[in-house]
Amino acid sequence: MDYISLAILGCAIVTFIPRVIPALFIDRLEFPPKVEKFLNLIPYTALAALICPGVLTVDNQLWYIGLIGAVVAAGLAWKKVPLGAIVILTVVVLITVYSIVPFF
Amino acid sequence: MGIGYAAIAMKAGFTPLQTISMSFLVYAGAGQIIAASMALTGASVMAIVLTNFVVNLRYFVMSTCVLNQVEESNLGLNILASHVTVDESFAMFSLSEDSHIWIYLGIAITAWLSWCLGAGIGVVLLDILPVIVTNSFNISLYALFVAILTPAVKESKQIALLVLITAVLNIVLSQFLGNWSLIVSTLVGAAVGMYIVDDEYLISGDD
Repeated sequence: MDYISLAILGCAIVTFIPRVIPALFIDRLEFPPKVEKFLNLIPYTALAALICPGVLTVDNQLWYIGLIGAVVAAGLAWKKVPLGAIVILTVVVLITVYSIVPFF
Repeated sequence: MGIGYAAIAMKAGFTPLQTISMSFLVYAGAGQIIAASMALTGASVMAIVLTNFVVNLRYFVMSTCVLNQVEESNLGLNILASHVTVDESFAMFSLSEDSHIWIYLGIAITAWLSWCLGAGIGVVLLDILPVIVTNSFNISLYALFVAILTPAVKESKQIALLVLITAVLNIVLSQFLGNWSLIVSTLVGAAVGMYIVDDEYLISGDD
């Protein structure tokens, strides 16, 4: 097996194991309310951590590209625009920004 | 996103089949891009696999959250659900009111197949698409995250504060911990949240 296939296989195994462990044991677990609350908080903190600072590296040369995208998406979500429309509009805005940037 | 990954993988010498099967088998957005970038620089298999383990360890937490939320599931469906748990499917499901296993699988399997399709499109279209377009697509995942998080932040000052604290924490920690910072910030943030967020603001699909 070549180098890349080995790497893919290895990554597949180490990614699957942590994911599947909860599936094997979750039925036998009854979480106390405190743990339940902790788990319910994780979506918010995970999203916060996924966005910051990663969003600034959308474009490795122009950090503000990601910031513009995030502000546009937040603004649209604030106005209750549907999820799919937000994603599409944000991409369209960025393509527009990219077309304007060379003029400055 | 899938297209961006394919761009790096092909540059690193992946065959089209390898590029697509990694999306199918590993199914980890950032993890795959990092693995392909490392292969590009000639990193050892061991280094690539270990880095992937660290970067993807967050799926343990996400999988636990999702499976704790789903109802009317069984072991087989849970195993399938755990494989298709990534940032997007987790984010969309965990902050929604739905808790049925098939709703989750619907969201998550669609995302999985589109990710594979993205890799396939990337393999074919790579030379045609301009960099501007692929870069603009890179924002789509973040746009989704921001769009999911914004209503909760708007709704509750406590959640907003928690999001701010976690974001700052992760920005600081990423300077020191590298790939570990995401999971550490997520868990520390949730622990802080235990004290600053009242129960009434949390969506719980379980009860």
